[in-house]
This record gives sequence, structure tokens and C-alpha cells, in this order.
Amino acid sequence: MSDQAAESDLLLVCRTITKSYNGPVVLSDVDFSMKRGEVHALVGENGAGKSTLIKIITGVTNRNSGEMLFEGTAIGIEHSKVASQSLGIAVIYQELSLIHGMTVAQNLFLTKEPRFRAAPFIDIGRMNSLAQALIDRYGFELKATDIIDGLSIAQRQTVEILKALNSRASLIIMDEPTSSLTSSESAQLFGIIRRLKAEGIGVLYISHRMEEVYDLSDRVTVLRDGHNVAVLEKEQINPAEIIRLMIGRRLEERDALHTMCRSNAEVVLDVRNLCSENRFNGISFQLHAGEILGIGGLVGSGRTEIVRALYGIDRFDSGSIAYLGKPWSPDVASSIRGGFGFIPEERRLQGIMGAISMTGNIGITNLDVTRRHGFVSAKKELALARRAIELLNIKPDNPDIPVGNLSGGNQQKVVVGKWLIRDLKLLIVDEPTVGIDIGAKEELYQTFARLSAAGVSILLVSSDLPELISISTRILVLRQGCIIQEFADGIVTEEDVLRASSGLVEGAVR
Amino acid sequence: MPISTLRRLILIGLFFVIGGILSFISPSFLTQGNIMTLLQEASQTGIVAIGFTLVLITAGIDMSIGAVIAVTAMVCVNFLSYTHIPALVFIPLSLLTGVAAGLFNGFFITHFKLPEFIVTLASRGILAGVALLIAVKDADGFISNVYIQDPVYLGFGGTVGPVYIVTIVFIGLAFLTQFFMKRTRTGTNIYATGANATAARLSGINTDRSIYFVYMFSGFCASLAAIFLSARMMTAMPEFGIGSEMDVIAAVVIGGTPFTGGVGDIWGTVIGTLFLALIKNGILKLGISPYIQPIVIGGIIVVVVVVDVWYKAFAENLSKKAIDRRKRSVKATVAP
Repeated sequence: MSDQAAESDLLLVCRTITKSYNGPVVLSDVDFSMKRGEVHALVGENGAGKSTLIKIITGVTNRNSGEMLFEGTAIGIEHSKVASQSLGIAVIYQELSLIHGMTVAQNLFLTKEPRFRAAPFIDIGRMNSLAQALIDRYGFELKATDIIDGLSIAQRQTVEILKALNSRASLIIMDEPTSSLTSSESAQLFGIIRRLKAEGIGVLYISHRMEEVYDLSDRVTVLRDGHNVAVLEKEQINPAEIIRLMIGRRLEERDALHTMCRSNAEVVLDVRNLCSENRFNGISFQLHAGEILGIGGLVGSGRTEIVRALYGIDRFDSGSIAYLGKPWSPDVASSIRGGFGFIPEERRLQGIMGAISMTGNIGITNLDVTRRHGFVSAKKELALARRAIELLNIKPDNPDIPVGNLSGGNQQKVVVGKWLIRDLKLLIVDEPTVGIDIGAKEELYQTFARLSAAGVSILLVSSDLPELISISTRILVLRQGCIIQEFADGIVTEEDVLRASSGLVEGAVR
Repeated sequence: MPISTLRRLILIGLFFVIGGILSFISPSFLTQGNIMTLLQEASQTGIVAIGFTLVLITAGIDMSIGAVIAVTAMVCVNFLSYTHIPALVFIPLSLLTGVAAGLFNGFFITHFKLPEFIVTLASRGILAGVALLIAVKDADGFISNVYIQDPVYLGFGGTVGPVYIVTIVFIGLAFLTQFFMKRTRTGTNIYATGANATAARLSGINTDRSIYFVYMFSGFCASLAAIFLSARMMTAMPEFGIGSEMDVIAAVVIGGTPFTGGVGDIWGTVIGTLFLALIKNGILKLGISPYIQPIVIGGIIVVVVVVDVWYKAFAENLSKKAIDRRKRSVKATVAP
């Protein structure tokens, strides 16, 4: 009885939520609750299930089983986006739901524009003054007549929050809201969140940034591998403890794989003080032959930007690169000629051409081998494709199949295969095993190990910490565009990397 | 000053400058008769362009407008030749031709989610064929040139004082449509649908309804233009209107409504229409071969689009740099 009484005070109650997407279980028996007027942080590594839980709460996707109650009323399994909005649940993504060409007031009142009593025409004056009143009530420096196009990301986010308030939301969910904000803008956002809290609105906050979680939250729920492993109350919140819970104690650590060692081999790439405005700053490191240099860091820390600059896709503003001892100004064509390979982050968008066969995909980066007098030799292309299939055990082994029909793991093998059959000196790999089954993952790891043993240098960007640690021979951790720590000796744990990524170096938060 | 206003002012300025030059070079330009004729030509295209603007605002396109003009003209001619129904009754009925075409277009676009270009191109073909089929034919089966003699009908091609009726209707329609777009929820929903259909739907807007509306309105405007065209020409042929898409598109592009949707207003189209009519009239007055006309218009479209695209990229770049600079001025530290 007392349980029920306590529960009806709760804004949101989720019990034993389970969700699987045709096989892999993403959420398993997850309990979750939100109180009115509380700031509740949801943390967990990538893949822990945070986004899925949010999608279930907001009706974007549906749970397989479990109960959900909002303000005491049960929510059925067939929950929908529209339903969640009318209940009073609002989500703040970055500017996805604003109309850029319209004013703040127009966005706030979309579909509910105030009209004249006499005629069904929009009363623009009243709309603007109502909007301005709402803005002023929260003390924002916005004008109702500002056009969204001219506002900064932080301001647009504020408009999204206002929109939620205007729809009388009682639960506002924010997904990594500070990832594009300056620190002063973030501070302003925290002020806003505190004000929302004071009005009894619940704020569910997803973040990787430990200092924010520590400052703001009343409670923290930690998800790991689809399970709710802990719910911490304010006094119990400390960043180091949270990180430990996110990672968990895994005793099957193979020490040999987690030992870093400096390389004495020749320097293949010498990067000095590489800077690109707003992306990365002062990047300096050396890459040795046969080394696997792992690059860790949170999303947005600049990892992909740096490797793209090294490969020649994006330009950088200052700094120098020397490749094999000679000054190097990267562009993609000369990178390929010089022995670079690049495995991009988004396989489907950047790595494969889904409608084209394996032969075609593999042939495209090897035209220097297959082309003579302007004509491409089909025979040579086929030979290359067969070699790639053999080297990487691509299944099915029919080179005419459009690559889009292969499984994720095999698609990635095709992407790797393109480069493998060349004379590689340096392979850049960005998030190689996202969405790939265990078997294919292992085969890819073995491939990387073979390459490294053969003297090829590998630059590995990965958010998968076990992967990063077990494959790399040395790790650089990035934070906000700068190298914050290097792990070159001794044993590294996932916790070490995550702490560095979060700025928790030697106990202090930076 | 927002770029759109600046652009409009430049366009208006150019309009008067070119007009000034023309009146200087050609003495017959600045006469009341010529000006009224110019306005009449502009209104003919302009009425269709108003409907087209709404379609463009939803990031769509309507290639069937020319064929709608043809079919509507044929419908009227059939009413005139085979019935005794008074003009004031059958003209509103024939306007429904365009609305029906719009309904057809809207259905295939929303229900099957087919690309607007393909759907309206297909309906263009179908309607052009229908126009030929229902054309009034003589005893041997050849299409005959029907001379319109109904005075009420012909009255639509006439004037009120010095001003042609079609011009009055054009300006009136412009005012009404502009007001509608800016001051009603339906109008706002149309803008939202074109700017960001996903966001619009998330906010509860029925984007399908908006799409139906704009295509039906576009068809309506084309039908309306057909009435005035045939009244002025005092005849109607099934080729009427076919090929007029180019002028309409030119007028809208010059006027500044982008094909990307979400943005645009009727006054831009009005100015674009007037500008286009000025150029065409000018070419005539200067004695230049009329065959040059499409080349000049095509050239103007290219120049206008290039300038628009270049300026947009330039402005975006500037504002992005400003935002980023502000963002990172606080985070200029290097880790130890």
C-alpha cells in the first residue's frame, strides 16, 4: 500500500523493461523511475542501452515487455510519439524539431497560433507578446521575433526547451545537450535546468561528462550492457565511482593484451602541432612502423577529425606532417599512392557502394593496378576481388553480389579488403567493428595483428574500450581536441581510458 | 537588413533602371498602352506563378501547369460550342479542372510518395493528351479554331478604365494569397511542411493536407489564367499554355523563391513576374529578334541562381565562423 502511495508521487515509473531488436537483447529487466522536480542523469557506455530506454519512453520504439506509468497512468505497449507528447513528455535533441526560417514565436506556437476572436486569422501581435512573456519569465535573452536561422546552437536549444514548456511538459529529456556548447553556454543551460527543477519539472539528462553529472544530478542511474546496475542518490554520486560502475569489474582481463609498449621502429608519421580551428589543437605524436596506435576519447573529442585531416579529406589550419621522413601535405589521391588506407566511420555511407558488386567496390581503390590505357581489366579486378575474399574469409564468396546485400561484418571486410591487397604502409581505421558480429570482429582483429606484424602502422579510433585496449600497442586519449594522456607503458584498464577521456586525471576533474 | 529584403530592393532598383534605359532608347516604351500591355502579359504569367510559388514553398514542383491551361481552355470551348450554359456559370465550373488536376497530383505525391517532378510530368502528358481529345473538331475530325464570340466571356479580356481586368485579378490574388500564407494556420503549416516536413509532423501538422492544398491551388491558378488567355486571344487552341512553364519558373526564380522550400513569398514572385515581363517587352521594343528571348531569359535564370547560391554559401560560412570563434574562444587551452 505504501509502495503505491510512494509511486503515485513519481513522475515516471518503468518496471522490468525488456527490449530486443530481432535477437540481441538491448535492455534487460530495467527498472527506472523519475520524481517530480528532480534532475536525473542516465549514464552508461555506448551500447549500454540509454538511447533505447529513451526511445521507449518517448514512444519512438516499443518495449517488448515491462510496465510504464506516467503520472500514475499506465502506458500501453503500443506507445507512440504523439501520445508521449500529449502526456507531457518532451525530448530536446539538437534543433531537429525547429523550423529554421520562422521566428521563435512561430516555432513555439506551431499549430496553435493564437487567432483573432472575430476571424480565423493569426494574431501575430498576441503571438509575439505571449511568446515574449514566456521568454521573459525564464529570463532568457531572446526576442520572440528572432529568426531561428540567426540563433546559435545554445539559443536554439533554449527555444526547444521553451517549446517543451509551452506544451506544458512535465518531463523533459535531454540527450547530450552540452556537446555543442561553450562552457559559459553550458553554465547557462544548467541554470535553466535548475529553474525547471524549481517548477517541479523532471529533467532526464544523458551525458558522458562526469563533471556535469556530478554538479547537476539529484540521482544517477547507471546502465551497463542493458542492465540497470545502480541508482545513486546525491550523496553517493562521485565521478570515479560512476565510471567504475559503468565499466564493471571484469576479471577475464588478459594482461598481455593490455600492456602497452613504446616502439623503437622507424618513425612512419611525424605529426607536429596540428591545429584546425574548432576541431583540434596542438596535436603532436609520432607513429612507428608496425605500431597500432589507439586513439581514445569521448564523442566530439576530435578523433575522427584528426584522422580525416591526416588522410587528406579535411584541411587543417596549421602544423606539419612528415611521412617517411619527408614533409607531407595530405590529399586523398597522394595518400593512397603513398600507401595509406582509410576505413571510414560510417560503413554504409562512406565505406561501401551498396548497389555495386564486391568486385567493383574492391576495384575502385585499385585502379592503378587494374587499369591500362584507360580501360579497366575485368580479369584483373576479379583476381583482386578473389584475393580479398580469400585473405579475409568473406562470405558469401561470390564477388558479383552487390555489397549492400552482405552482412555488416562482411561489408566491413570488403572495405578492409580494398586496402589489404595493396602495398600498405599506414592504415587508418575509424570505429571498425560497429554493428559487426563477434566472429567477424575476431577475424578483423587478427587481420590487424597480421598487418602490424608485417610492419604496417595502424591508427585506430575506437569507442569500444575493450577493443581499443586489447588491440593497441599504445594509446593516445583525446579530450576536447587536445591530447590529454598517453598510455605507452604498463597495463591499461578501460577505467584508465575512460577517466582520461572524462578529464579525471589524477583525481581532479578538468 | 536581411538578405531577402536587400535582394528585393536590388531587383526593384534594376527594374526601374532598365525601365528608365528602355524609355530613353525607345520612345514607344513609356506609353500608357505599352505599360498596360506589359502589365497584362505579366499578369497572365503571374497568376500561374502565384500558385506555383506555393508549390515551391513545399519544396515541390508542378510541371503540369501548362497542360492544365490547355485542358481548361478546351473545357471552356466545349461549353461555348455545345451548350447554352451562360459564361458566368460554366467558368467557375471549368476552374474545377485545375483543382481536379491538383487533386490527382497531390494523391500520387502523398499516397505513393512519388517524386513531385515525375508525377506532375506524367499528369502534364496525360492532360495535354486530354486537351487534344476534347478539342472541338470539324466534320473531318481535324481540330478547328473556335472563335469565341460570347461577350461575357470576352469581357474577361477587357479593361476597367485603362487597366486590364487580368491585371486587377493578378494583384488582388497576390494580396489575398500573401495574406493567407502569412496570417493563417494553414499558410504557416505550408511553410513548415516545406521547411522541415519531419519537424512539421512532429509538431502535429498534417503535411499531406498541405501538399494537397498547394497542388490544387496551383491547378486552380493555371485554370484561372486559361480563362483570361483565351478571352484575350478570342480563341482557344489545345497548344495553349504548353511551354509556359519556363516563364513561370523564370519569374519565380528571379523573384527569389528557392526550390529548396520553406521560404518565399508572393511579393517576390510579383516582382519577378514584372521583371520578366519588362525584359520581354524591352527585347520587343528594342527591335531585337524575338528568338533571342528564351536565350536571354535562360541566361538571367543562370545568373540569378548562381548569385543566390554563392551568396548563401558566403553568408553561411560567415555566420558559422562567427559562431565557432565565439565557441572556442573560451576553450583555447592545450593539455599538459
